[in-house]
Amino acid sequence: MDIRIFHFYPDLMSLYGSYANVAVLKRYLEALGCAVSVERVLPGQTTDLTGADFLFMGAGTERSQKAALADFLRYGEAVKTAAESGVTMLFAGTAMELLGKSITDDTGKVYDGIGLAGFTAVQGKKRFVEDVYGHTDLYPEAVVGFMNKCSVIQGVETPLLTDLALGFGNSGGKTPEGFHWKNVFASELTGPILVKNPRLLDKVAEAIYGHRGEALPEARPVDRWAEDGYAITAEQLKLRSEK
Amino acid sequence: MFLAILVCKLGRFVGKLVGKGSSMPGKFALKICPDILARVRLPEHIIAVTGSNGKTSTVEMIAAILRAGGKTVVYNEEGSNQIEGVTTLVLTHATFGGKVKADVLLIESDERYAAHSFKFFHPTQFVITNLYRDQLTRNGHPEWVYDAILPAIHPDTELILNADDPLSSCFAIGRDKVKWFGLDHCSFDSEAPTGVYHDGAYCPVCKAPMEYDYVHYNHIGAYRCTKCGHARPATDYTVTAVDLDQGRLTIDDSVTIDLAFRSIYNVYNILAAYAACRECGIAPDTIAGVINNYILKNGRMQKFTLGRHHGTLLTSKHENSIAYDTNLRYIASSKADCAVLIIVDAVSRKYFTSETSWLWDIDFDLLNRDHVKRVMLYGRYANDLAERFSFTGIPQEKIDVGEDILEAAALLQDHGDEDLYVVTCFSDRDKLLDLPAVEKEA
Repeated sequence: MDIRIFHFYPDLMSLYGSYANVAVLKRYLEALGCAVSVERVLPGQTTDLTGADFLFMGAGTERSQKAALADFLRYGEAVKTAAESGVTMLFAGTAMELLGKSITDDTGKVYDGIGLAGFTAVQGKKRFVEDVYGHTDLYPEAVVGFMNKCSVIQGVETPLLTDLALGFGNSGGKTPEGFHWKNVFASELTGPILVKNPRLLDKVAEAIYGHRGEALPEARPVDRWAEDGYAITAEQLKLRSEK
Repeated sequence: MFLAILVCKLGRFVGKLVGKGSSMPGKFALKICPDILARVRLPEHIIAVTGSNGKTSTVEMIAAILRAGGKTVVYNEEGSNQIEGVTTLVLTHATFGGKVKADVLLIESDERYAAHSFKFFHPTQFVITNLYRDQLTRNGHPEWVYDAILPAIHPDTELILNADDPLSSCFAIGRDKVKWFGLDHCSFDSEAPTGVYHDGAYCPVCKAPMEYDYVHYNHIGAYRCTKCGHARPATDYTVTAVDLDQGRLTIDDSVTIDLAFRSIYNVYNILAAYAACRECGIAPDTIAGVINNYILKNGRMQKFTLGRHHGTLLTSKHENSIAYDTNLRYIASSKADCAVLIIVDAVSRKYFTSETSWLWDIDFDLLNRDHVKRVMLYGRYANDLAERFSFTGIPQEKIDVGEDILEAAALLQDHGDEDLYVVTCFSDRDKLLDLPAVEKEA
């Protein structure tokens, strides 16, 4: 199967090793026998998203996020149409906020999001930085990650993480986190969330296959280091959450 | 004021006896007299140093140079760099009448808390070494730190800034009192930014694309925005020639210095110290006399032996990819066969986190060299390291992974005689250095 990945603003929105989500997904799909292309989408460039299998944007600073948003608004309708049709996408870190209705910065200035979802983000002077341990309805294992944001998000009706035992979620401590609708995955958990959570990587790959009308093969690539790393982090964070 | 100073001095005396840190006496003094730092009479020169990397080394060299130049200097050698530690430092060196007994007050300032520390007084010179991705689990990101430092800069303060860093150079916007330090085009420069990510790709002022004439390392070099005009300024203090192979640099075409440690970091730290001391009236010859072959006393580099290996520990702050890249580049430029041991056991010595995203910001492919014979990944987060390394071009058969640092030491003690480089953080270094098999060199 030929898979087309579009990586939006890989330099502008590159905090916390965001790129690794694309790298690990590409390797996973290639191990399943897919031919994977990754197309970099840069600000100002015109890109046709027709035929996309996966869209990705990573975390950026609040100022970079506004620059990304200014460009990304051009793609708003195309992204919403793709999402509606079941195209898989992941928006990680501050990129998640672009999908919503609006972003209010720390001076009170309001920016329109692309409106794929109805949530709003309000940024402030306080930063929420902490480990996160929670659960999703997508699979039984825990989700691990790290929150690093200055936003409070309200109005998410379908979160990716439905409960948190540790850390800051969309709107406060131990509140649900992220956004999930059809095959749109979004989370403000920073960094390589697909490396840290091998089961979430399975789910994203399954969504890509599903959109193509195929089931994910039973024999999946096993990434020993990622699995063992996940186990240790999950154990550490579980202990932390029970304190 | 008298009571606050008395309590602080007594607290410091008792604290030293029982081995306690240096921030508590200042904390008590601030409770007694919250504006005590506005009441004391401070020295003519107050030099502050902040930034992501190089603070401690730069401050140490500035102190040594100023003392050689005949100045009495007080500074926070123990690294207590928030307001409580600064208060302890100031009051323990003050008379009971409130006069600080020194020519220069030198402060290493935590970048996030600088605005708090300088609420009641301001530096006469403020050195900002750079702003990189550093400890993002507490700092957020470099622009967040920039916004935190900005209110700490008083209009009367003279800024001493790194011209080659596109972000920290923005502190000069709208200010006249700025001195710049930087490196001219060097033989080891590249044409484009290096590393896994490109923080110089877009202008920190307007977010338009930036271009580079040359790059010293990562995104540090001669940048210019294609839209707003933000660009590397002309420098007041300049490394006009540098040869890292020979370990020699020349400042302003006239001052030649031999490097005890042949790292680009050391070059920048020396230059920042040179600029600050020149601004305090110290002669170039005096500065050169001190920093020629200067060996830092802060233990960031430690030589040792383990079995038949000659070892060099390169302290690389975890969560700081540029610090790692710099040390990996140092290893890559070495010529002799070597083994490299990387330890990530505790991400921080100050707080708990399982966050390992920062490993993905490090350019570990720098170790993909023929003379790097094996790479050992150890500590609690060895699996995360191994996962990161599985995305490098380094042959997997060169890589050894394990959780137990003792096991790594035993392997090295029993096998091989190649040079050994250990790359790790303060939080993990002593887990190796304190082992009986390791003999530290003085």
